[in-house]
Amino acid sequence: MVNLLLAAATLLCVLGCAWLALAMDVHWKQVRTDQPSESTAKVLRLLGSLSLFASLVLCLFTDHASMASLVWVMLLAAATLIVAFTFSWRPRLFSVLIFWAKAAS
Amino acid sequence: MSTSTLSTRHVIARIGAGVLGGYAFVWGFIALGLAGFYAVGLPFHDAEALSNILGFLLFLVVFLWAFAASNLKRVWMILVGGGLLMTGIGALIQQSLL
Amino acid sequence: MFQNFRLSMAWLHTWFGLVLGFVLMAVFFFGALSVFDREIDRWAIPESRFEPQPMPSFDTLLKPVFEGMQPSKESIDFARDKVNGPMPERFDTIVTWGAYTTHRDPVLTIFAGYEVPNAKEPDVTVWGNRTIDPRTGVAFPDDQLKIGSGFFYPLHYSLHFHWANLGYWIVGFASLVMLAALVSGVVMHRKIFRELFTFRPKKSTQRSTLDLHNLTGVVALPFHFFFAFTGLVIFAGIYFPVSHTQMKPLHDQHEVIEAQETGLPHDRAGVPAPIASVDAMVVEAQRRWAERGMGGDVGFLTLRHVGDTNGYVSIYRAGTDRIALTGQGIHFKASTGEVLREDLPPTAVESINEFLTGLHLQHFRHWMLRWLYVLGGLAGCVCIATGFIFFVEKRKRQYAKEGSQNGRIVDALAVTTVTGMLLATLGILIANRLLPASLPFGWPGRGDLEEYFFWGTWVVAMAHAFLRSAPVVQGEINPAWREQCLALAVLAPVTVILNWVTTGDHLLKTLGEGYWPVAGLDLSILVGGVLALIAARHLRRREQGAPVQGATDFAGAGVQHG
Repeated sequence: MVNLLLAAATLLCVLGCAWLALAMDVHWKQVRTDQPSESTAKVLRLLGSLSLFASLVLCLFTDHASMASLVWVMLLAAATLIVAFTFSWRPRLFSVLIFWAKAAS
Repeated sequence: MSTSTLSTRHVIARIGAGVLGGYAFVWGFIALGLAGFYAVGLPFHDAEALSNILGFLLFLVVFLWAFAASNLKRVWMILVGGGLLMTGIGALIQQSLL
Repeated sequence: MFQNFRLSMAWLHTWFGLVLGFVLMAVFFFGALSVFDREIDRWAIPESRFEPQPMPSFDTLLKPVFEGMQPSKESIDFARDKVNGPMPERFDTIVTWGAYTTHRDPVLTIFAGYEVPNAKEPDVTVWGNRTIDPRTGVAFPDDQLKIGSGFFYPLHYSLHFHWANLGYWIVGFASLVMLAALVSGVVMHRKIFRELFTFRPKKSTQRSTLDLHNLTGVVALPFHFFFAFTGLVIFAGIYFPVSHTQMKPLHDQHEVIEAQETGLPHDRAGVPAPIASVDAMVVEAQRRWAERGMGGDVGFLTLRHVGDTNGYVSIYRAGTDRIALTGQGIHFKASTGEVLREDLPPTAVESINEFLTGLHLQHFRHWMLRWLYVLGGLAGCVCIATGFIFFVEKRKRQYAKEGSQNGRIVDALAVTTVTGMLLATLGILIANRLLPASLPFGWPGRGDLEEYFFWGTWVVAMAHAFLRSAPVVQGEINPAWREQCLALAVLAPVTVILNWVTTGDHLLKTLGEGYWPVAGLDLSILVGGVLALIAARHLRRREQGAPVQGATDFAGAGVQHG
């Protein structure tokens, strides 16, 4: 159960970082040829922040608060690295995270 | 990087200010903090831990400042003078507590 | 000295980072290994490959072991000039006995401190240590080196350079520089958020190295900052011994007041007294912890003024589920077993201090956080190593034009501290598996020889790095990078095979049994070997003048070694 919660926290952390990155023009363009609209970028930022927050909540749910804060901060580092390296070598993988999003007209 | 204007002597004086001056200043701060926090009622080990924690953060600040400040002489004076002053006040507080 | 703030920060970052970076590489890498120091101990001492044990019975097992102990020869020699007249044959006045264990320790380390008669200062104490099997009380040989907790771990804070504590001071200064480098790095880096997720391996080496430097520095910024900072806080007593020098009178006065307040005697009474059942005290302590809703195991057990009527026993709960190492101390009168005192809940400052030191020392149970710490430490290594490479890349044209040797020296030192350090790490593990259990009379101890192999390998790697460094002057790659990567790729499986041959613990067996201390290290070494091989192939392609694609991750691949 604990492992499951931590796995979910990790996944949410990666998703959150990925959405926050996709809200930036330069990374969006690595995934798709168009440009995100202003409102899409806003939604992506919101999704990203919510995921990171949910990840923190899961960490707090799993461990004593002092430990959970460390786990979450370190997870952010790991997730950022994963997202950055995915953009370097396999950016298209992230297209699934924005399949619903409309480009700017 | 513009290093043309740097004389070796000046660089050594800068590093000395950051390292030695910073050390003297932080020593004074920790001595003053230890005696001062204890005098105002903190438990001894709390006073010690708190002044250490703040002391290292202060060291970082004054170390950076020693390189960023324009007037090196003033840096030396403030760090060494301030260090001595705080060490002295710490000693006086200690004396009054014994 | 500079036109503006940003330039002065850049100067500081470049030059302090360069000089102390070589120290910081070792600190970060061996710090990362120290996350699994206990597990590396298991690998190095096959007799200790069994499950972690709880604190054993004091009355039946620990007490006889403690009674048979005496201070070590080194400790007696160290105290010799603090004493008037000769040292006694036997030390009978026991200041303290203690045993500390965590949820990761199969073996138990115990220590005993003894009063020295005729000492010039009253608090001169000589110490003895022993590592025992907590199931039987049998001691492990003294010359067995715990490579994790006894070599890599102290290496990362003392460099094993004990003359005048100089190693501690060098590491302490390097930590301050690390903090300064982080702040100045943030000041220099104009697009910290815009380029947070940016690594462009296909750009020029200089660009992609800087990307990797920024990426590994920024993503783990809290880790880097807090580990450098808390490292300083942990050793504050060495760096700023204020309360043992200038403020010693206040400190001593406080100790006496504290003894009065807590009822825990500061000194011996001089009246002999027997020790009541300590096991019963442990049961009582655990009952009281359970009452507080935090039942748990004993982490630290210590006796003071042993054999005296003022003697007392302190029992601390293991901080397995907390950041703090231990806590909830309960103190008993040694001769009767009555409770003298329960520690008060920690004050705010105490909690902060325990959190800061505990997050660095990490004796808690949280395997994922441990691996994340390893990641943070290796990210630090990549950050520093790419710093070196960027330094050389940025200046290589200028150096080539001037015929300067500076780039060559920096690059050779970078080889030494990246692949050379990894070779030395494998060197000590290989020596540990190859040296016979008992050595001929007159030889150094087995553990000492292992350490010589470590330093010897490192020196050879350094010599190799310098001997092969000529191409750097023309702005080309030092072939030592590739050759040492190849050596790593060969030695990594050799290390794992030697473990198999000498102990019978091959990966299928350790994985099948779920014995992770050994399986985990073997797997990490193999992964490191594979990464080294990939790096070597990239480097070969680069040396042959192929496009630069992917070539810059060699530093990253190199240090990914567990």
